[in-house]
Amino acid sequence: MTPEASEAFAGQIKEALRLVIDPELGYNIVDLGLVYDINVEDGGVVRVAMTTTTRGCPATGYLKDGARDAAWSVPSVEFVDIALTYDPPWTPDMMTDDAKVHLGIV
Amino acid sequence: MPAAPAVGQPAPFPERKNAEDGVALSRWTMSYFVTAVLALIAAEGLMLAGIGYPHAAIAAPASLLLVHLVAIGWLSLLMCGALFQFVPVLVNRPLHSNTLPLPTLILLIAGLAALLLGFAQLGGTIQTPFGFFPAAAILLGAGFVLVLWNLGRTLWAARPLPLPARFVVVGLCSLAATVFLGIIFALVLGGVATKPHLLDVTALGLPIHVIAGLGGWLTFTAFGVSYRLLAMFMLAPELEGRTTRGALYVGTTALAVAIVGGMAAICTTTNVMWPIGAGGILGLLALALYGGDIQHLYRARKRRVIELNSRMAGVALANLAAIVVLGIVLLLAGRFSDHIGVIVFLVAFAWLSGFGLAKLYKIVAFLTWLECYGPVLGKTTTPRVQDLVTEPRAQKWFALYFVAVWIAALALLFAMPLLLFRVGVGAMGLATIGIGIQLMRTRRLANVAPALRLPKGTQPPHLLHSSVQPS
Repeated sequence: MTPEASEAFAGQIKEALRLVIDPELGYNIVDLGLVYDINVEDGGVVRVAMTTTTRGCPATGYLKDGARDAAWSVPSVEFVDIALTYDPPWTPDMMTDDAKVHLGIV
Repeated sequence: MPAAPAVGQPAPFPERKNAEDGVALSRWTMSYFVTAVLALIAAEGLMLAGIGYPHAAIAAPASLLLVHLVAIGWLSLLMCGALFQFVPVLVNRPLHSNTLPLPTLILLIAGLAALLLGFAQLGGTIQTPFGFFPAAAILLGAGFVLVLWNLGRTLWAARPLPLPARFVVVGLCSLAATVFLGIIFALVLGGVATKPHLLDVTALGLPIHVIAGLGGWLTFTAFGVSYRLLAMFMLAPELEGRTTRGALYVGTTALAVAIVGGMAAICTTTNVMWPIGAGGILGLLALALYGGDIQHLYRARKRRVIELNSRMAGVALANLAAIVVLGIVLLLAGRFSDHIGVIVFLVAFAWLSGFGLAKLYKIVAFLTWLECYGPVLGKTTTPRVQDLVTEPRAQKWFALYFVAVWIAALALLFAMPLLLFRVGVGAMGLATIGIGIQLMRTRRLANVAPALRLPKGTQPPHLLHSSVQPS
């Protein structure tokens, strides 16, 4: 896969992940900065590194499964691996400006 | 569906540590909440009807019935239900047993019923030779032992514990002390225990029972939960610094001095008020440290516009500060013992119940969202947790509740006509029913826009228990 094609594919995955919201903050996990990395490989292999706003959150499993299902919905995806990580821990500074405005964060 | 990782592939993102997938939904927490709210409404109904304090002496059987309906039926069931869900969140480990909470709840409800009937028997309201107090001691003892076992095993497996969880540990130790004393009282009142030192404990140990219950179990545990929940819901930094450790250590010492020292004083026929007084002074220091931390949490929050639950929790915390000031003023004026009933009323309703209702409003919405929409996340558009509530509707009930509590308290404090107290508790009851209806609407998804309410693959949640739907 060319770098351009890989980038476009990762963009499609990122767009699909916007369907997944953090239920508490009510905004998609991409713009909240909860998706740390999207890595696409040959053969439709997608690896996503993501986190949650807090450790031990009861929504964690749902967020992980939701991200997996959303990424899986993109055509040509053959394999999805979602890795959950707390290194580095999430902070509100990781949000996009739109998400910060939406949440009234100064 | 996703395939398993191919053998021999490099581990994804090796520079990052893997983490757990979070904790499960507590299946019976909602049953605890429903029972607790019903107990609160029943207690407010009794006060409105003129049963118990202030229409009877504070130590009269009718008052004790009322106090235990609030302390066990409302506050303890609320706290237990919340802890079964949130201790795992605090320590990032699953609950030791997700099946024990149901038999635990049954034992606690049966034990509470026996205790209330025991007080009714003691007051002459019912005439039967059945030993309700010993039955209450056995049932409540067994129920709370199961609570301690389940939460204790969960916490033990998660060592070393984060600071908020250590507050909960101290709270659970206080619960054990409260229950231990309560069992002695029940056995003595039931005529089963007649040994002189147990009679002494019953005659002199009431202040220790109250401090361990309201101060240690309910308040100290609420402190621990508040450190984590307020930080989570307001996007504030989690506090683990000197003041937080200070609040934990000083508060723990205060409780140990009052409870252990108080028991030792009874056993050695020393004045029990000495250790209680010393514990009280240390307790004030712990409250000041906690108060400073909470102010910092609210000021340092990233979310400038906070939700109703955090605003109302703030009102309850301000009430706690006001209760402390009132207590100090009454002590300095030499009138504390005259108004102990007002202080207990305010601790129970202005602080603990206010905080409990505020957090309940959030927790019910959050658990309902998880149960209903968690399994379809990523498959379809889902509402937010905030879409499950209508804050303006609930806000007026919360406002009425807090105003009503203070009307009732001021009526007691200034010895106004009891009719004013009844107006206050009547309004409290109305507000509680209003909040309860809002909780029911949340649980029924009534506030969610129809287009989003039940996407394909979801089912409406049950009122009394949570079931994890397949994802």
